[in-house]
Amino acid sequence: MSILEYNGAAILAMTGKNCVGICSDSRLGNQAQTVATDFEKIFKMGDKLMVGLPGLATDVITMKELLTFRLNLYRLREEREIKPETFSALMSHILYQKRFGPYFVEPIVAGLKEDNTPFISAFDLIGAPVVTDDFVVGGTCTNNLYGMCESFYRPDMDKDELFETMAQCLLTSVDRDALSGWGGVVHIITPEGIMSKTLKGRQD
Amino acid sequence: MDTLLGIAGEGFVVLAADAQVARSILLYKNNMDKIAHLADNKALACAGPQSDCVSFTEYISKNMALYELNNDVKLTTKAAATFIRGELAKALRKGPFQTQLLMGGVDKREAGKDEASLFWLDYLGTLQKVPYGAHGYGAAFTLSVMDREYVKGLSLDEALGIIDNCIKELHTRFLIAQKNFVIKVVTAEGIKVVRGPPTPDLGAAGASAEAAAVPVQG
Amino acid sequence: MASPMCVGTSILDTGARKAPAAGPAEAQAGVPGMFGLPNVANPAAFCSANLGCGYGTDHAQDIKFAKGTTTLAFKFQGGIIVSVDSRSTMGPYIASGTVKKVIEINPYLLGTMAGGAADCSFWERNLGIQCRMYELRNKERISVAAASKLLSNTMSQYRGYGLSMGTMVAGWDKTGPQLYYCDDDGTRLHGNLFSVGSGSTYAYGVLDTHYKYDMTDEEAIELGKRAIYHATHRDAYSGSINNVYIVKPTGWVKVHAGDVNDMHYKLAEEKAAIAASRAGAEEKAP
Repeated sequence: MSILEYNGAAILAMTGKNCVGICSDSRLGNQAQTVATDFEKIFKMGDKLMVGLPGLATDVITMKELLTFRLNLYRLREEREIKPETFSALMSHILYQKRFGPYFVEPIVAGLKEDNTPFISAFDLIGAPVVTDDFVVGGTCTNNLYGMCESFYRPDMDKDELFETMAQCLLTSVDRDALSGWGGVVHIITPEGIMSKTLKGRQD
Repeated sequence: MDTLLGIAGEGFVVLAADAQVARSILLYKNNMDKIAHLADNKALACAGPQSDCVSFTEYISKNMALYELNNDVKLTTKAAATFIRGELAKALRKGPFQTQLLMGGVDKREAGKDEASLFWLDYLGTLQKVPYGAHGYGAAFTLSVMDREYVKGLSLDEALGIIDNCIKELHTRFLIAQKNFVIKVVTAEGIKVVRGPPTPDLGAAGASAEAAAVPVQG
Repeated sequence: MASPMCVGTSILDTGARKAPAAGPAEAQAGVPGMFGLPNVANPAAFCSANLGCGYGTDHAQDIKFAKGTTTLAFKFQGGIIVSVDSRSTMGPYIASGTVKKVIEINPYLLGTMAGGAADCSFWERNLGIQCRMYELRNKERISVAAASKLLSNTMSQYRGYGLSMGTMVAGWDKTGPQLYYCDDDGTRLHGNLFSVGSGSTYAYGVLDTHYKYDMTDEEAIELGKRAIYHATHRDAYSGSINNVYIVKPTGWVKVHAGDVNDMHYKLAEEKAAIAASRAGAEEKAP
């Protein structure tokens, strides 16, 4: 089994019209054993910026702490919030710094740019960036997530449509994956703020 | 091979650990206390090779004490858990401590509502707050028992009852006979030993009368 | 990994020598000659290295198989309860959530499925044929002991070939309710309570703690359901529909088929109600 599948995760980010969403499941597993069903995998990185960290749970926490630290330094030095594009570059750099002993996470970034247009990107564990304008997925059931998103994504969804589409894509995908699921969370980022909802998912 | 169990209630945390030290096919000792006292209101149950458990818990408890002296603050349970996790994660990429942990602590709060918390940590540095948890092969037998019987806001007696049922189940189904368990309760007032490591230990029956007079050290 | 062509420790396996290396295929129930075997020096070693289908055994293999998961059966005052989940997985992928893991061998006999889905369904169907043949020849129903022995004989013949199955045979015969456990290495056990599969330890936890011989039928059915539910909650490779059967002197009856997820939320509500009523009582007390 891959080390990226040790704890199990499913994360998805999707763009809408002047909004962007990111959602994850909430399982923390120890391979086949479910340890907790309220594990946090998405973290707020700014007023309009979030990062999802699928992968090895210890590195999820380490990465979150490291990013928070780097972001605090950035804010002190620049006296402003980081742009998603800049954050993406920072992410790629942090990951590549561990080229020969990587953090076992494949981060997903979702945020709104300065003009409130959506920005999403994904990385492999050593920092290869992928920036798209529709959706990005990560975790232990990416095949399932790609299938769902390819079918149900439409450009320019409003925030409610985006929420519904993402929730359905996530829940349906994790229902066909043994290592992720057990409920989930969806965050929809809009210029007015972040709307967060928990999803009631299958508990098996 | 070790088993750790833990349940958090309102104002208390129960921790239980088997008392075996074994290697290969041999049982060295059956009265090991695997639950270390980190502070008056924090206990750390540790499973894994005895060497790693002892050196890691000593390292943690001494550094916590040093930190509290240097900075003149008491660590909350969560802060202590985060510190432990950080040390495990740091060690992971050098030469990891093979330790699986359950940490229970109770923080004093206003209006008598003390906050009890239980943290589940593995050797990788994964940290998760749980209402109840288990480590080792024993977890596979006991997590379902806890799932079945745990109710939010349960009393101390009920929590001890669940731990009892878990131990009973291990004695019926688990191949490895874990005869003795140490059970401790953490509250804001201190750590109470419900069931301590038994004396005398295996073998050398005459010698243990003397040993019994000396408090058992982890 | 050792090359399958080498002579390994499997040469010591008595099971491996019993099966013919190859041979004319004669389609007769329970006779191993009906399968073509790979033309290699040691077909048993080759099969178990490349065609194994147990938990964790096929990760390194090119060929991966569907597997079954948590099953349990226990005797009690009113007969036997057989309760199973219905998830089938290939690696982390959930291949199906509607697998029938209880195989109805005849109106008095049930078999359960854990391990390789194909191995279980084939050999238990095969067992059904053998049991029917016995009935026609002897003008009476086969005993549970004999039926389980037929299955374990088959398993012994294929020992070392990488079959994967852990099954319980439950039924009611002249001697009353009987329950047997059989598995791929030829083990056959008579007993009162078994659970098989990756979630079995979780099921045992609930079962052992709450089992009483003199339960009513309703209580026993409920226990069977709960044990499977708790196993599906903790074990990633168990889930979906819970099927429950009860074996009575008149034969088996299917008594329940429900989604474990519905059960989870129903039980969660009950727990929340208990917690709320306690919190309410506490507020009144002082």
